[in-house]
Amino acid sequence: MRRFVLLTMAVLMLVAAVPGLALAQEEAPPTVEEMVLAVDTLWVIVAAMLVIFMQAGFAMLEVGFSRMKNVGSVVAKILAMMGIGIVMFWAIGFGLTFSDGGGLNPIIGTGGFFLTGDAETYAGLAWTAVPVSAKFLFQVAFALVSLAIVWGTMLERTKFAVYCIFAVVFAGLIYPIVGHWIWGGGWLAGFGMQDFAGSTVVHLSGAMAALAGTLLLGPRIGKYDDEGRPQSIAGHNMPLAVLGVIILWIGWFGFNPGSTMAAVGASFADIALTTNLAAGAGVLGAMLMSYAYRRHVDVGMAGNGAIAALVAITAACAFVDPWASIVIGFVAGIIMYSVLIFVDSIGVDDPLGAIAAHGMGGIWGTLSTGLFATPALVESTGVGNPGLFYGGGFAQLGVQALGIVACGGFVFLVSYGVFAALKATIGLRVKPEQELDGLDISEHGVYGYSEQLIATDYQNGSGGSSIPDPINSRRTAGGTA
Amino acid sequence: MEQNRPLAQGAGTNLVVNVYNDRVEFVSGWQGQTVVAVGLRQVVDAAVRGVINATLTVETNDGRRINVERMALPDARQIKATIERQKKTAGLYE
Repeated sequence: MRRFVLLTMAVLMLVAAVPGLALAQEEAPPTVEEMVLAVDTLWVIVAAMLVIFMQAGFAMLEVGFSRMKNVGSVVAKILAMMGIGIVMFWAIGFGLTFSDGGGLNPIIGTGGFFLTGDAETYAGLAWTAVPVSAKFLFQVAFALVSLAIVWGTMLERTKFAVYCIFAVVFAGLIYPIVGHWIWGGGWLAGFGMQDFAGSTVVHLSGAMAALAGTLLLGPRIGKYDDEGRPQSIAGHNMPLAVLGVIILWIGWFGFNPGSTMAAVGASFADIALTTNLAAGAGVLGAMLMSYAYRRHVDVGMAGNGAIAALVAITAACAFVDPWASIVIGFVAGIIMYSVLIFVDSIGVDDPLGAIAAHGMGGIWGTLSTGLFATPALVESTGVGNPGLFYGGGFAQLGVQALGIVACGGFVFLVSYGVFAALKATIGLRVKPEQELDGLDISEHGVYGYSEQLIATDYQNGSGGSSIPDPINSRRTAGGTA
Repeated sequence: MEQNRPLAQGAGTNLVVNVYNDRVEFVSGWQGQTVVAVGLRQVVDAAVRGVINATLTVETNDGRRINVERMALPDARQIKATIERQKKTAGLYE
């Protein structure tokens, strides 16, 4: 009996082991190249997830800087933009950005729509071996970031339809054209413009579209008094705003280091270091300016300082030494605060400070690459020439400036045209009554917070019953018929 | 409460226009503290200029011209049309 049991067990073990042996014989162990590709692909996907997670950062930042009555519209807008942006970039944006345009290639790509191309189709990304699907996931996350920047200046008064219509044009046409010029083998790439992760392509583009929209949209009701002096409209939740900044900060570790689009043999750890150092210095720069200007440390501005520094180091992260990243970040924090005050004073209502943080941060970051790019890093990256401070002369700085003017000008003009058409047809902003009631209830039919918590501005005719009627108590001229 | 709701509304630079049954109100300043109300009987003309940044001009019979600048064209047109409709409805053009 004992022998029978032993024999049975031996047979069962053999039966269990045979398929494994057979499979092992069929599949050869992965080669080093396959392992490298797998690690690279994994890194790109992780980086893409980090960049997509930045949408949560934008959501929290915008919610924190908005008033309670508008938070639902902010998150609804973020979701809608992700939906429209992903589909538009898949349908035409990715092809326009990275495919070979033949005779039109200096301006735009003309193939690979609906992600039907292979690795050769998207010639602008041929330098990385990861699959096209990974390339798309990473790049669409960038397009979404640029689109999110557009709306930071237009909070609390813009029609939902305007968001949706402009998103189609921006993700499908405007962003891809600029992206192609610099990253897709277009005319600025031919000049050797250095924009490693998109200070110009992503951030300056978003900010210039935001500026165009804000100029046509006008300030929020109550932002300026009768003499045109800016009034402070405080956000309702600083912890949420700072949470948003920190999520963005973490997301930037996918944004900049992930732009190597490879893990093996790439210097992504060095890029993560320069990114982090710049962000820290940006906080300090903005805090210093805040204290010097107002004699207190403004939490929101400190957060904007971090963002401005992150934006600035985005172009330069792969080209500069760690000490230079601190200088770039610190100066970005200072510039951001100064521009914010200036923008406010000329009647442009930018609730989030996006024009200052992303616009001026993008300009400074793109220029700083032409100043601080080291010969060794330029050689290893293989783009452009060393910066002015390393004996590279003004050539690279000039190319950087040309890129800023060309991309910024193009995005501003086209966006202005689109927003102007929208203003002349459907209008950009909601009715004043809706703006005072809050966009949550007027545009989406629900409140972002419990109704008892919401504070809306009082207004003629539709304010709460406990609010005094400003018409009868303050009528100053004329009279009723 | 319902009859106090404006028939038409629009926002220009630093100014909100509300059209009611019997009057046009121009609200400005911090939290709408300055309200200029003009009875429809006093309104002589309402005109719209421009396409992208439209200017709505309301003229009164005491010689005032109130400009609301940088309005959206649909808003400005709606306000002009509402003022004219209300005046016709009330027979104020005779």
